[in-house]
Amino acid sequence: MMTSRFERTANYVVLIAFAAFALFPILSILVTSIGPETASIAREGRTFHWENFTAAWSQGQFSRYMATSVLVSVIVVSVAVLCSLMAGYAFGTMRFRGEQVLFYVFLLGIMVPTEAIIVPLYFDMRSVGLTNTIWGVALPQIAQSIAFGTYWMRAYFRGSNRSIIEAGRLDGAGTHRILWQILVPMGRPAITTLVLLTFMWTWNEFLIPLVMSPSGQVRTAPLALAFFQGQYVQGTTLLAAAAVLVALPVVVVYLFLQRHFIRGMIEGAVRE
Amino acid sequence: MTQKATARWWGLISVAAVVSLAACAPGSGTAEPDETEGGGGEISTDIGDVEATLTVWDQEVRGGQNEQIERLNEAFMEEHPGVTIDRVSQSFDDLATTLRLALTDDEAPDVVQANNGRNTMGAFVEAGQLLPLNEYADAYGWYDRYPESVLQYSTYSEDGTVFGEGNVYGLPQVGEVVGVFYSKSKLESLGLEVPATWEEFDAALAAAKGAGEIPMQLGNIEAWPAGHVFGPLQGAYADPADITNLGLGNEGASWTAPENEEAAAKLQEWVNAGYFNEGPNGTDYDAAWQALAAGNGVFLIGGSWLAADLEDAMGEDVGFFVPAAEDGGPLATTGGTGLPFAVTQDSDVPDVAAAYIDFITSDDAMEIIAETGNLPVNRTAELAPESGVQAEVYGVFGEVTSSGSLLPYLDYATPTMGDTLGQSLQGLIAGQSTPAELTQALEADYGQFVGSAG
Amino acid sequence: MPYGFLLPAFALYAAFMLFPIARAVQLSVYEWDGLTVGTFVGLDNYAAVVTDPRLREAFGHALILIVFFSLLPVAIGLVLAAVLNRAKVRGLPFFRTVIFLPQVVAMVVVAVAWRQIYAPDGSLNAALRGVGLDGLARPWLGDFTFSLPAVGTIGTWVSMGLVTVLLLAGMSRIPSEQYEAARLDGAGAVREFFAITLPAVRGEITVALTLTIIAALKTFDLVYVTTGGGPGTSTTVPSYEVYRRAFELGEVGMAAAVGIVLTVLIFAINLVVNRVGDRSTT
Repeated sequence: MMTSRFERTANYVVLIAFAAFALFPILSILVTSIGPETASIAREGRTFHWENFTAAWSQGQFSRYMATSVLVSVIVVSVAVLCSLMAGYAFGTMRFRGEQVLFYVFLLGIMVPTEAIIVPLYFDMRSVGLTNTIWGVALPQIAQSIAFGTYWMRAYFRGSNRSIIEAGRLDGAGTHRILWQILVPMGRPAITTLVLLTFMWTWNEFLIPLVMSPSGQVRTAPLALAFFQGQYVQGTTLLAAAAVLVALPVVVVYLFLQRHFIRGMIEGAVRE
Repeated sequence: MTQKATARWWGLISVAAVVSLAACAPGSGTAEPDETEGGGGEISTDIGDVEATLTVWDQEVRGGQNEQIERLNEAFMEEHPGVTIDRVSQSFDDLATTLRLALTDDEAPDVVQANNGRNTMGAFVEAGQLLPLNEYADAYGWYDRYPESVLQYSTYSEDGTVFGEGNVYGLPQVGEVVGVFYSKSKLESLGLEVPATWEEFDAALAAAKGAGEIPMQLGNIEAWPAGHVFGPLQGAYADPADITNLGLGNEGASWTAPENEEAAAKLQEWVNAGYFNEGPNGTDYDAAWQALAAGNGVFLIGGSWLAADLEDAMGEDVGFFVPAAEDGGPLATTGGTGLPFAVTQDSDVPDVAAAYIDFITSDDAMEIIAETGNLPVNRTAELAPESGVQAEVYGVFGEVTSSGSLLPYLDYATPTMGDTLGQSLQGLIAGQSTPAELTQALEADYGQFVGSAG
Repeated sequence: MPYGFLLPAFALYAAFMLFPIARAVQLSVYEWDGLTVGTFVGLDNYAAVVTDPRLREAFGHALILIVFFSLLPVAIGLVLAAVLNRAKVRGLPFFRTVIFLPQVVAMVVVAVAWRQIYAPDGSLNAALRGVGLDGLARPWLGDFTFSLPAVGTIGTWVSMGLVTVLLLAGMSRIPSEQYEAARLDGAGAVREFFAITLPAVRGEITVALTLTIIAALKTFDLVYVTTGGGPGTSTTVPSYEVYRRAFELGEVGMAAAVGIVLTVLIFAINLVVNRVGDRSTT
């Protein structure tokens, strides 16, 4: 197929322009993070200050916070994805009473801003003794993730090939087997996408861990950034370095699984 | 299930849900604050061999602040081996978010660093969540340790309506004072002396502008920094007693008094004359002082908390002063204290808590506070460094608290004053509103609050 | 049968999402400071939402942000996805990754970077001055007129990657025979786009719009860290008002009311979008 040279140049221009637009702010953060922390350090004359990362790591108590983040993320992702798989399967392949209404009820969870429910949530969690525990931080996020996950998996299951399900049924497989042994393996890209999105959102969430653990025992990585923000002045260089540290796990996971990720988005996207 | 049966089930569930929700009013399940046991006389200043865990929430997260509290905590635990301090430090913003919620917890902290403002400390006092410390103050001699002008910032009436009079609820470690930082070399090259009065300061600004310099740096994107410019400026025109009433949200003054409008007009005059950097409303607070340090600008009106960073960047070149309203007259400028340490009403170990607060604000503690680069609220003149901008900052704070007037931060006045003031000043700077409109907006907020209080 | 599959999800969801929502509704009819016992005030809070000019302004801003978070990214996404789908360019995975990166970084960090870019002496003004457009340079986040669009542009930056990838998904399903036929008929790239590509991705556009509109109306982090609602009140948004009232002013009931109104608004708008979207794909 022939494309004119004009078309090809235009394509490159568009892609490069938007790629540059996307990259520039991210690069500026990187640059800030390796700059001198204070004016006196600047006078030392070095260009790269890699020690900012070690300083940010220790001042931000990252070893503790990262560990908590990992734990919370693992719990939230595994529970939420599991539940969403099953709920999405029900919505996507079965007919039952109240299906439409119930689905909108699940959809509500994506639409509610966290700020609106966080205060009542805190007091209710406190009355059952869940504040300052891992589950107190994880359970609300599981609920949020189930809302999106159900929406997502329903879309995938709706679009899955009917004939395969029929074939499975003809072979005598029950509903459970069809899900776990046929559809799930086929749906790996879509599920991987869900896993990655849920992980990304859980990792970056800051309000729920802050409020659910007021005494700081179960704080997650994004909250470490607050250590660099004083009442009046903030330590921008270390803040940037800390921000890089917080973003790094997500970026690494994203890049590594990019093939599955994008493919999952492609195939998991809604076939309404 | 039949359709009717399903519908009936849903109906039942909804009704049950509504009834159970409507049952209890919010806040009724929270721990009611215990009535103080044994009205008075039960306190003890001798905690000798007591075994206890003291939970302290503070916001001393950065650099020198963190250092001083760590050292003091260690020293306290050494002196009282039975006491373990469980320290939870979080940023100023985070503390603001979590403290209000955590106060009513069964396991609330014992000592908290609460913002003096009406939104926080005032609200907590009103809700009866903080322990009045008058008896401890008498026992430990805090009324002698602190000048009244400083202690008023941690004082509220018992119902929280009057700020500045009543019971003492906390003690601060550090002081804060707002003044003018300047570049000595720039001032010299302009052939100027350090301005002694606001008039001279005005002239200096004009001279700087004429010589092609940026006279003043201001980074007002967060809206509150302009309040620190307006505050001291207001001191040049209005009576400190009135400003104090306005700033603390106590009745007896009015924003529409002409002096206040004059102060606002002066600020707008400075903006129109081009005395500020370009686009102060869009400039970061840190970018402004960093610009001064980099040689762009002659003056910067800011708080003592900037001194350490400015000294690090500019060394000997930076200075600090506060102009007086009249030649040789007393200094009146905005300032206050760092967040005071308070004791919660539900604390099981109030004696230990009080002893801790006493310890970290003692005369010895002040030395450690000064050593780690903070401005000690007491013994300021004594502990001043030999030279440098910090010496000048200490000197000014000492002078203002002893013979001058420490004007309260104007956003202490009402719960919404921070927003009202910040937004109005941004409008004034942008030329969107007139000085009259500014004072009217402030009066509306202040008047409504004062009118509805008490 | 299906209820068994739904149960675990629904149980957790009901306990930790639906119940708090119901509690928030309950809270919204009280006046409560979070410390003492609340007082019942009926629908007063809701009346305040409607009459308070500041809140009306905030909701207005949220609607404007839809243009930046949703409509613009969809337009950009359509172009980018079309190019990525049809173009014979090298390094497609690189471009896909880079364009998606803004989604991955925490909002707080995004705000820090963009504050620097928008500073009066920041890169944007430097670039404008560099090409001789000095007149356009201004303190973006401090400008009463331009602060909201400036914040909105950050939203565009964040959303465009997500939308691109979603649309790419739909486009990759279009059989290439359709394009061959069009080429043989003499159609250029632009006609190809409007005649074949666009109609085929209507479903994906609906999804993209749904997700981004929700994001636009729910915006909090971004405003909190960049402008705090300023200058003046030119960038206030409903979620920030909820947060302020709940945590700074001690008006928890009022905060809940604003939150509920926002949720209802989000739900209504998305209902409309999805109805229109469904109708166009049948």
